[in-house]
Amino acid sequence: MNTPLLLPNRFKTFGWCILIPATLAGIYLISINFQTTWITTTVFSFFGDDEIIKASGPAGNHNFTFITVDITNSLVGFLFIIGGLMVGFSKEKSEDEFIANLRLSSLLWSVWVNYVLLLIAFLFIWNFDFLNVMVYNMFTILIIFIIRFNFILYKNSKMATDEK
Amino acid sequence: MKNNIRVERAILNMTQEELANKISVSRQTINAMEANKYVPSTVLALKIAKVFKKPVEEIFQLEKGD
Repeated sequence: MNTPLLLPNRFKTFGWCILIPATLAGIYLISINFQTTWITTTVFSFFGDDEIIKASGPAGNHNFTFITVDITNSLVGFLFIIGGLMVGFSKEKSEDEFIANLRLSSLLWSVWVNYVLLLIAFLFIWNFDFLNVMVYNMFTILIIFIIRFNFILYKNSKMATDEK
Repeated sequence: MKNNIRVERAILNMTQEELANKISVSRQTINAMEANKYVPSTVLALKIAKVFKKPVEEIFQLEKGD
């Protein structure tokens, strides 16, 4: 079946090879509270003001200029999304109407779950802690989608092997 | 909608995998249909009927509430 907007099947394995290390790196970054100085380099910044430094003079103005920053967190987040997109939106080996249907329902499901969780967070998480919610929320739709889609697919193939 | 794919498959002594290959879908799809978790498209229903050499109505029947 020809479903548009899906990558070829080989991207799936490739995606896992990026997603798994990125996930592990992400978990590690969480554990050290994103405080890293591993990959400091010069990058072009569209917007990069640091409000705290800006208050003390022009040194804090980082818009549309080259700046030197640590890119570890951005790099891990970037790789996580690339890997996640490849895993989530590559064709299955035998892509058919049931799988297309499952993909669509999983997407709907993940958007629902994501926003219900976000609503709960809006109600009960306050002040600086809400920043954490925003960090995780960038990735949760993709994570929930991948888990739900693969879980149902796995459950179906599992039942299939049990029968004759 | 209910179906008797499983029965028809047993008559021909065919595995889910073999049927899946014949109509070029995944084995999960056959499994989901047999478990009544997925209603196939008309194209797929016609393909299945063709494999079993029976009219579609003999394999797929409407249920109350459909």
